[in-house]
Amino acid sequence: MKKSSSSPSFALRILASLCPPSLYESIEGDLLEQYEEDEKEFGEKKASRRLFWNTLKFIRPGIVLRNKFSFNLFDHFMLLNYFKVASRVMARNKAFTLINVFGLTLGITGAILLFLWIGQEFTYDQFHADKDRIYKAWNRATDKGNINCWDVTPRVLAPTLQEQLSSIESAASYAGWGDQLLFTVGENRFLKSTGAYTDSTFLRIFNFSLLKGDARTALREPASIVLTEHFAKELFGDKDPFGETLNIGASGNTFPLKITGILKDLPSNTDFKFEYLIPFHFVDELQGGMERNWGNNSVASYIKLKAGSDFESVNQQIKDIAKKNREKSKNIDVFLYPLTKMRLYSKFENGIPSGGRIEIIRMLAILGICLIVIACINFINLSTARAQRRAKEVAVRKVSGAFRFSLVAQFLCESILTAAAAGIVSVGIAYLVLPLFSSLVQQPLKLDIANPFVWGIGLTFTILIGVLAGVYPALYISSFKPVKILKGMKLSASSRSITRNFLVVVQFGFAVMLVISAIVIQRQINFVQNRDTGYSKDHLIYQYLTGDLPKNYTAYKNELIQSGIAESVTKTSSPITERWSNTSSIGWNGKDPQVNILFERFYMDEHISSTAKLNIIEGRDMDLSQFPSDSTAVIINETSAKAMGFKQPLGEIITDNGQDWHVVGVVKDFVLTSPFQKVEPLLLFGCKGDWAFNVIHIRFNTSHNTQQSIAKLSELAKKYNPEYPFEYHFVDVEYENKFANLKTTQLITNIFSAIAILIAGLGLLGLSTYMIEVREKEIGIRKVMGGSVANITRLLTVNSLKPIFIAIVLFSPLGWMAMKWWLNSYAYRVDLNFFTIAYAGLAIISISVAIISVQVIRAAKANPVDTLRNE
Amino acid sequence: MGKEYLGEFEELVLTMVGILQEEAYGNAIVNEIKVRVGRSCNLSAVHVTLYRLEDKGMVKSNMGGATNARGGRRKRIFTITNSGLAMLRAMKEQQMQLWKLIPQLK
Repeated sequence: MKKSSSSPSFALRILASLCPPSLYESIEGDLLEQYEEDEKEFGEKKASRRLFWNTLKFIRPGIVLRNKFSFNLFDHFMLLNYFKVASRVMARNKAFTLINVFGLTLGITGAILLFLWIGQEFTYDQFHADKDRIYKAWNRATDKGNINCWDVTPRVLAPTLQEQLSSIESAASYAGWGDQLLFTVGENRFLKSTGAYTDSTFLRIFNFSLLKGDARTALREPASIVLTEHFAKELFGDKDPFGETLNIGASGNTFPLKITGILKDLPSNTDFKFEYLIPFHFVDELQGGMERNWGNNSVASYIKLKAGSDFESVNQQIKDIAKKNREKSKNIDVFLYPLTKMRLYSKFENGIPSGGRIEIIRMLAILGICLIVIACINFINLSTARAQRRAKEVAVRKVSGAFRFSLVAQFLCESILTAAAAGIVSVGIAYLVLPLFSSLVQQPLKLDIANPFVWGIGLTFTILIGVLAGVYPALYISSFKPVKILKGMKLSASSRSITRNFLVVVQFGFAVMLVISAIVIQRQINFVQNRDTGYSKDHLIYQYLTGDLPKNYTAYKNELIQSGIAESVTKTSSPITERWSNTSSIGWNGKDPQVNILFERFYMDEHISSTAKLNIIEGRDMDLSQFPSDSTAVIINETSAKAMGFKQPLGEIITDNGQDWHVVGVVKDFVLTSPFQKVEPLLLFGCKGDWAFNVIHIRFNTSHNTQQSIAKLSELAKKYNPEYPFEYHFVDVEYENKFANLKTTQLITNIFSAIAILIAGLGLLGLSTYMIEVREKEIGIRKVMGGSVANITRLLTVNSLKPIFIAIVLFSPLGWMAMKWWLNSYAYRVDLNFFTIAYAGLAIISISVAIISVQVIRAAKANPVDTLRNE
Repeated sequence: MGKEYLGEFEELVLTMVGILQEEAYGNAIVNEIKVRVGRSCNLSAVHVTLYRLEDKGMVKSNMGGATNARGGRRKRIFTITNSGLAMLRAMKEQQMQLWKLIPQLK
């Protein structure tokens, strides 16, 4: 073969390396033969070229891959046999199978629930067809080096942008102010605050599907309204509401609105929450023209860009729009932020997007993975610990010619079978508890068990978990040398114990961290709930000043007090549990013009200290009959007094919107908004701003039964406000609602820490059972030599507890740091102290001791004769 | 025949194996096809087809003796099996039957 040039021989070498050896000789022979023929016919050059190409053409699957994949090893008989053996092994060791399956079931069920939740979070507002072109306008204000971002913008922003920028397809203001409207249709009356005002373009920007009506025109006329299907049914029953007219009562007047559209009920995965939409024109007309104040940030502005327009350049164009229109807004930039990021990435820190809800989602994902990992660790530990039992089987199989690969396959079959059993049970459990979990996390989650795709994913993950749990034990057990095993060498039970102990440490580490967070959350809730609110919540109720109540207020109040059910009545601008207004343009004597302090605004007529049991520490409460000038009085809280730098607050003058108010009292700080945050500066203005009153607070006389008082109240409400349905709110209930979110967090943390502890505990149970089984004889000998039950118990328990101690030492600082980070978001927070960790450690250790000691004591008590006699 | 089918090229190669008898190996088949049918085909295609036929049980193979030609490499000689022959016969008969059904112009 000297004749052929180097390139064909190079090709032949490649072929030789790829081609199965059994075929190669004859192929090469044929190629060479052809070469010889070609050489005679065409000459050497062409012949070598042909040889080269012909050789390359042999590199094809039919040749190269021939006999590469032999399916004989995966012969279905063998596979059936693996499953047969696996199911027999599982059936023989019922306790261990149960521990494995139960542990995995808990882990997988938890993970399914968490990942369903996570999946749901990612679908929020992603269903809008043009979601990539929809943006929300934000303000970015620079104030003394601090950059603040917020997504509430002036009413005129959206219409201005639409007018001035050609690259904007449409823009809409949107505001759900939560004001109470009375809906009247014939005899049906509903008081609702769950609607929004928006521009006519809203329904074209977003894909909320209209069952009836035209998205382009539905919100065009001021006197129109769009209802959701559900609310329409509430109002009209089975009658077709489309085109009908309903009456709404707002600020003492009644307006007829025509129903121009019926929306399908909103999907659950949207951040928009409304039952009705009223055109913004309606509000504009009420206010005598559109609000043009660029300083009044009160609505959300949504913008849809034209297809193909450049987001960055639009952002540049709109940046200065607020500055141009208002002298005082010169520190405010307007920018657009994508709708698709609204749900999960809407936190800004110093002007830069810095996560948001996604941080919680990431934590949940980590939690879900951890649950599966600790369940897998159980399987790994129990399988490797019990390897001795399988050693003879492995040895015999190897001697009879089993490849290591087939042994690995066999053990993997076992773990996959376990995982599959757990997976099926978990899907069932998850399906059953899903409604409960949905209501807990307030997300309507669905597990679509009729969908084959879901089953596909489930199957894939089951196999994955099976392999994850089984691959290490399979490799370990199949590595035994048959000669040694069959000669009678014992694997000591503690061999591989370092790996095993390490895994136990990891398992209990997770558990420790979860327990620490559960304890800290619990303590934080207790701590804040016990916070002195500064007013008395019991026997205090509030009502909204609706319909005729503002007109009849004085008579209503007098009768409430005369009838004896009320001790004191005060009308205010907002409930004492909420802040409805704040301002940073308060003026006072000696104010530093550089300082920009945000004050909470609260209006009231008089006697707030007796109604809410506020503590006036300086000066006096307002009393209009005694001091008529109190209509322009103001009571400030301690924080305000400090913020304004008053040494002698009484008599000082405070200006707000051109009105002078004189300070008559200082009230001890009380919690108006969030009990988790520090008290903000607050001003309680008098009744000069009469328009401001929305709420009436009533302190019940404690000598009356509350139920009777409510009955009487209802009677009086009917008398003075016949149009509106009777409603009232207990302040203590409303206050408690501020804890609802945190309590959900607490419940979820508790549930998942319980699951984690349970899984880890199961593993510990399995391991200790086995350890004792192996050391039965040792225990017997120790007893014969005079060891006492207590001694032996201590020996065995301490040994098993070692990794748990290590876990507590290693992981509690991590848990501590995580909770420190979490607590940092609360201004009013509990101190983390050493006892938190001590409690968590103690809890984990006592659970572990309880699990271990039962078996240890039983083993230690056993009569050595029974354990030693058969040797 | 039952479930096994032969493609057109497979049938051609199988026929050649039947014709060449003891001399049926890759390159010989390529040449035979060239001579008898006038069709030039690639050596690798013939090899792959032969292996496929072997998998289907239509031919069997064994290595022939070494000669001085072809760099001293041995030939892989293919022989047609009984089932291969039966297959060829069945296909031929099937074609004849179908052929008969075409109205013959005289």
